[in-house]
Amino acid sequence: MSLIKQDLTRGIIHENPTFRLLLGMCPTLAVTTLVINGLGMGLATTFVLICSNLVISAVRQLIPDRIRIPCFIMIIATFVTIAEMLLRAYQPDLYAALGVFIPLIVVNCIILGRAEAFASKNPLGRSLIDGLGYGVGFTLALLILSAVRELLGKGTLLGINIMGSAFEPMSIFGLPPGAFIALGLLLALMNVVSRKLGID
Amino acid sequence: MERLIALIFLAIFVDNFVFMRFFGICPFIGVSRKIETAIGMGMAVIFVMTMASLVTWFIYHLILEPFALQYLQTIVFILVIASLVQLVEIVLRKVSPALYQGLGIFLPLITTNCAILAVALLNILEEFTLIESIVFGFAAAVGFTLALVIMAGLRERMEFTSIPKAFQGSAITLITAGILSIAFMGFRGMMSL
Amino acid sequence: MKDSVRMAVTLMVIGIICAGVLGVVHGITAPIIEERQAQEFEAAIKEFLPQATQFEEEEIEGVAFVVGNNDAGELEGVVATVQVSGYNGTIEYNLAVDANGDILGLRIVSHEETPGIGDIIEEPEFQDQLIGKNVEDPVEIGNDVDTISGATFSTRPILLSVREVLNLIGGNFLGLEIEEEADLDLSTVEDGIYTGSAPGFSGDDIVVEVTVEGGKITKIEVIEHNDTPDVAAKAIAEMPNRIIEAQSIDVDLVSGATYSSEGIVNAVVDALSN
Repeated sequence: MSLIKQDLTRGIIHENPTFRLLLGMCPTLAVTTLVINGLGMGLATTFVLICSNLVISAVRQLIPDRIRIPCFIMIIATFVTIAEMLLRAYQPDLYAALGVFIPLIVVNCIILGRAEAFASKNPLGRSLIDGLGYGVGFTLALLILSAVRELLGKGTLLGINIMGSAFEPMSIFGLPPGAFIALGLLLALMNVVSRKLGID
Repeated sequence: MERLIALIFLAIFVDNFVFMRFFGICPFIGVSRKIETAIGMGMAVIFVMTMASLVTWFIYHLILEPFALQYLQTIVFILVIASLVQLVEIVLRKVSPALYQGLGIFLPLITTNCAILAVALLNILEEFTLIESIVFGFAAAVGFTLALVIMAGLRERMEFTSIPKAFQGSAITLITAGILSIAFMGFRGMMSL
Repeated sequence: MKDSVRMAVTLMVIGIICAGVLGVVHGITAPIIEERQAQEFEAAIKEFLPQATQFEEEEIEGVAFVVGNNDAGELEGVVATVQVSGYNGTIEYNLAVDANGDILGLRIVSHEETPGIGDIIEEPEFQDQLIGKNVEDPVEIGNDVDTISGATFSTRPILLSVREVLNLIGGNFLGLEIEEEADLDLSTVEDGIYTGSAPGFSGDDIVVEVTVEGGKITKIEVIEHNDTPDVAAKAIAEMPNRIIEAQSIDVDLVSGATYSSEGIVNAVVDALSN
């Protein structure tokens, strides 16, 4: 039981890919202009992460050690393309909003990192939980960042006006510089919080 | 010709890969501590990105498109890029040990640099010709190098300043990148294709 | 040796399985994607032309048009899909015009303009001035339509292109004569040498001398111009031959020297109409 909890929370808190490891920064910065986009990217990545972790864990004994990386990449790319096709068929608006960053999930270091560090060494069940934990951690981080950016940049959350008409939106947060600055400020906040909680 | 010049200017400044389009952020944060390593990484990226533009263009237009296999694009491109990096590494080691010494350690890092795959995908998306693809790949890599070198210059100086504890490390790097990004926004609207 | 064979086989097997899986998923999703795109396209057209049931597509001068007819086969309206360069990147928009030539609406399909500034092109504040304007109205900046101050570079290209698209729609689908340059009527021109002029690229006049013999143009000479020499040379070398060959001014312009070419054509018209 404690092992499951440990596998699950590692990716969400102690090794949160965005706030602690700074992995997968490209989609994190690029698609977080709106909460819906951040959520979509988070879920798509989680889908790929869980599927590739499962498959890699299942075939881990069949793959010769020296060619494991190209094999992992192929498996990951397959799931990314599946995710891309599904989004295009059933969520065309989200597909259009995320654009080229969907195929780029392939090079998201989180996924290859988990395949190499965890799934290729551990059984199915644990790999599934591990993928889920990291996926949720990544999605949460994207949600927080996109909520900050949408709220400050547009005064809305999920398209619903929150701040009222008196609030003048700071459109810089919807532009590229705002992504860097918002994430920088969040990281500083996380530093303070984690020191207070003694996570380090 | 005018189109190519516009393309170069756009790729380096207006749509800078790092500051405007967020491609290659991981190496941008990871390898921008020293100017020297930033230049080394930049050169390796310029080299691989130009090659990748060339190779993926041929693969797409000569193999994937005629056989209606466009949906295999992502998987094929990433494999091609990974093999290309390996090939460049082997050739460099044999042909020019001096250059290998300089670029060698950066080459394995490049496979997971999303900027390379992004260039390959954008070349197809924007329907660039072969020449335009190569020029775009080269210029985008130059833009990436420029961003890396500027950042490394700033970070070398920041080492000697006292930064509030909470902002130390990546936080201040990102905020600096944000301010640089504002500067690059000044290029917006100066040119279009 | 055995090792490398095993590696190659493993890689190949994985590759084939991956491609196979993708092929299956592609087979399932491709028809759905296609159908959805068709639906979206139709919904966008229907929004402007609710009565139209039959559609025809046509492309004229790089602009894609959809002509909508109703059940009786009468023209309901035309929807154009136009791409122009905005402040940052390409703006794509739909312009819908009904059978009377009135603008039904403008819909921005995609753009990369600055949020909070250039994206005003999506707002009624900008679009409303166009709705209801007729193909025969001037639709000229500063006259009956205006750019939005602060977002001139986003709004100006749209307004300029709307005028051009209205001309295309009027001339091609509504059967209107919109400043169509009348072709030359050489039968009324007596033999002789005529001089005419029209502004070129620089704004200064291009002066031509046209020789007419036996009801035919036999020689066109550019006597004077003030355009960029290298560029104008291309037009001077090509345009007279093209006009003489066609015995008409309805000829292709020399690309890369469009303004100079146009100047020459207009000067020839000027010469022969005197």
